Amino acid sequence: MKLLRDIYLKRDTNKWSIFTLAIVVCIAIPILTIFFKLFSGPGETWSHLVKHVLADYILNSIWLVIGCSMLTLFFGVSSAWIVSRYEIPYRRFLEWMLILPLAIPSYITAYAYAGIFDYGGSLEILMKTIGISSFKLDVMNIFGLILILSLSLFPYIYVSARAIFLYQSGRLIEASKLLGATERSTFFKIVLPVARPAIVGGLILVLMEVLNDYGAAKYFGVSTFTTGIFRSWFSLGEPSTAVYLSAILLFVVFILIYLERLQRGAKSYYNSYKSNNVLKKKTVTTKRQLLLFFIVSIPIVFGFIIPLSQLIYWSFLTYKDVLSSSFFIIALQSLGISFLTAFFTVFTALMILYFPKWNRLKALKKVSRITILGYAIPGAVIAVGVMIPSLTLDKWFIKIAKDLWSIKIGLLINGTILVLLYAYVIRFLAVAYNPIEANQLKIGKSLSESSKLLGKGNIRTFFNIELPLLKSGAIGAFILVFVDVMKELPLTLILKPYHVNTLAVKAYEYASDELIMESALPSLCIIATGIVPIIILNRLILNEK
Amino acid sequence: MKYIYLLITLLIVSSSCKNDKNNQDSQEKTITKKEIVNVYTHRHYPADQELFANFENQTGIKVNVVNAKADELIQKMSEEGEQSPADVLITVDAGRLVRAKDKDLLQSIDSKKLNEIIPTNLKDENNQWFGLTKRARVIIYAKDRIKPEQLSTYENLTSPTWNKKVLIRSSGNIYNQSLLASIIANNGEESAKDWATKIVANMSRSPKGNDRDQVKAVVAGEGDIAVVNTYYIGKLLNSKNPEEVKAGNGVGVFFPNQEDRGTHINISGAGVAKYAPNKDNAIKFIEFLASAEAQEVFAKANYEYPVNKKVKPSELLQSWGSFKEDTLALSLLGKNNKKAVILFDEAGWK
Repeated sequence: MKLLRDIYLKRDTNKWSIFTLAIVVCIAIPILTIFFKLFSGPGETWSHLVKHVLADYILNSIWLVIGCSMLTLFFGVSSAWIVSRYEIPYRRFLEWMLILPLAIPSYITAYAYAGIFDYGGSLEILMKTIGISSFKLDVMNIFGLILILSLSLFPYIYVSARAIFLYQSGRLIEASKLLGATERSTFFKIVLPVARPAIVGGLILVLMEVLNDYGAAKYFGVSTFTTGIFRSWFSLGEPSTAVYLSAILLFVVFILIYLERLQRGAKSYYNSYKSNNVLKKKTVTTKRQLLLFFIVSIPIVFGFIIPLSQLIYWSFLTYKDVLSSSFFIIALQSLGISFLTAFFTVFTALMILYFPKWNRLKALKKVSRITILGYAIPGAVIAVGVMIPSLTLDKWFIKIAKDLWSIKIGLLINGTILVLLYAYVIRFLAVAYNPIEANQLKIGKSLSESSKLLGKGNIRTFFNIELPLLKSGAIGAFILVFVDVMKELPLTLILKPYHVNTLAVKAYEYASDELIMESALPSLCIIATGIVPIIILNRLILNEK
Repeated sequence: MKYIYLLITLLIVSSSCKNDKNNQDSQEKTITKKEIVNVYTHRHYPADQELFANFENQTGIKVNVVNAKADELIQKMSEEGEQSPADVLITVDAGRLVRAKDKDLLQSIDSKKLNEIIPTNLKDENNQWFGLTKRARVIIYAKDRIKPEQLSTYENLTSPTWNKKVLIRSSGNIYNQSLLASIIANNGEESAKDWATKIVANMSRSPKGNDRDQVKAVVAGEGDIAVVNTYYIGKLLNSKNPEEVKAGNGVGVFFPNQEDRGTHINISGAGVAKYAPNKDNAIKFIEFLASAEAQEVFAKANYEYPVNKKVKPSELLQSWGSFKEDTLALSLLGKNNKKAVILFDEAGWK
């Protein structure tokens, strides 16, 4: 029996199994480091947390998850359907405007809204100039937080839903119409179920961001798991308790991912061929058009234009103090780091997707899944997970150098850009993985299998057949990671080398010194650098037609 | 990916080894030539950058800065251990310096200059850290509704007079933690818990926002009084936003507990890292920050109270008058920090 298993194992493994395993280990080390810390038990304040605050963390996090799911689904799916199905005024313009809220870090949107509704805020000034007596609206609570997070995160759902609506539903809608179904029942019974895997994929990204949010929740005074992690780690000085909380969060995310796989696994709607039948636009009455235009404008106005205007106003007040030559250097560094990270992350995601396919060890595919968990772990926790093993490695090098050549060397790896990039890759792998995987599912297996039947090897098939087809998914992934790194904060704060600074860090420094107005200009730069790639992303989706 | 990392690592290792082997002497020389000091700091005010540049110009010692929150810097230093490149740790609160000391991350230094300039209660008993600037946590009140005569002590804020009138930020904030830590040290744990519970009952809204937001909320009428740090009032009054200036003008500053222990103060301070590779430079650096010249900049640009007695506070701070400070040893703020966080949780202070 044992012999037989050995034979099977030998038959099923090849060099790709080893490569896969190597990558998986590399990515998993920091995650496992955190996991192993679990076994040292929670800190002494654990029972205190359970008694006094844990219920609050859980309840608030659940409300956030439910509220944000409903709102982002509503904003994302409705706008995606309207712009792909109906001919409305300025449709092409709206199509890419709808992605833009993603360019503003959600904590910045939160600061902007707090500033608008503040005493002496923009709203009050506006009311005064119009001559209406001002009213007070408090956004700094959990409802405000849900609304603001949803407004800044719904594009994740919009992007994935629109892609599916555009290429997948044309034929189906025609068929459904021919069979006499109404527009409404076609949408709910045909279009929506077909788009479900993609929408849920987008939703998972949204929820991971929601669970990971620190800046906005803290400013608004809402205690969530993530603010709890920071509190028990830093305020109580107990990393082990923080790790315990992270583990619970990780467990929840595990379940979310599992549920998504479960429902995707059962129903595979992806066409194996590329449909030439792009969804045809419907023309409706002018009145309806205006109504639809209005619906689509809401998330754009509130998720992008209003916070942006507030930031522009603040920048106008403070740019003289903020602008300096070092500011431009920081901007360049930010761009460089984001570019490098995006490249490495997409590269890693491709390897993780393809290497397991090139051998027959089924288990590998499942194992490789754990690599995308990084997105669910708070940046600060990943930073520590990366720091512990890299320091061990450094100490090892130092010892070797001392023993073999009797020379003294400093830290070779730690505090270099390498560690930062490594941590980013772990954190954002899921962001790159999901769009590429979706694209890959769309391509199907038949083309690559034909190629292999014709005697081409794995690598040739990949470069000649699959990569060209994957181009839009890969570029999309690149852009999403790029924008995310531009915005990333906690991980960068801990791991960034000397002399390296990013715009997000700069914005945070100002905000944490209660110089929120001064943080507007670096934030604007983050947004500006996010907009260009987002427009490219939109072009890509359109070109697929 | 792994191979790329491996390759890069190998490249770095091999190149550095080669250099070290062949040009060991020359390299050592170049290292000693280029004087540096590595500063881990929680402060990131523009004024600090100005000071660092001045230090570089005067001494030729290059200042490398890592900016992050004190907690994260401490975590970083303890992970780095003996290999840590940090020379100086700067925080904006005494509690964090005590934590760094407790984690054995700082070292005692012997500096005549610092001993002369810095009062005993504002530094560590073993000279492991030194206060550089002071900030007072005061009560501010709405000028149009409240008379300063109605105010007296932090303890008085729990009285029924202030029911639904008190504004204060969340307990996650270090300044609140240190305030409660000082109450624990002065009045005992039981009474501190009682204080926190009653303050929660008197809050006009659930804690949110930063210190500036509390001031604005007072002016907006959401509450009548708030507990904030002095320099934020200074910053509001000098804001680019006319509405913030208006908010700053709408409130008065009251220094509590003048009849007994004095107003709670905290420091922003610095210590030399235990494994500092450039210890001498680190000491020079801290001495520079305590010098009259540097303290002048702290006082002017950031509305903090200088620790150096030769330097006067800014005009604005002088206009609020002098006050009696709580002379509690600040190391106690650190010792009681964790207790304070736990009491906050028990009191339901978010």
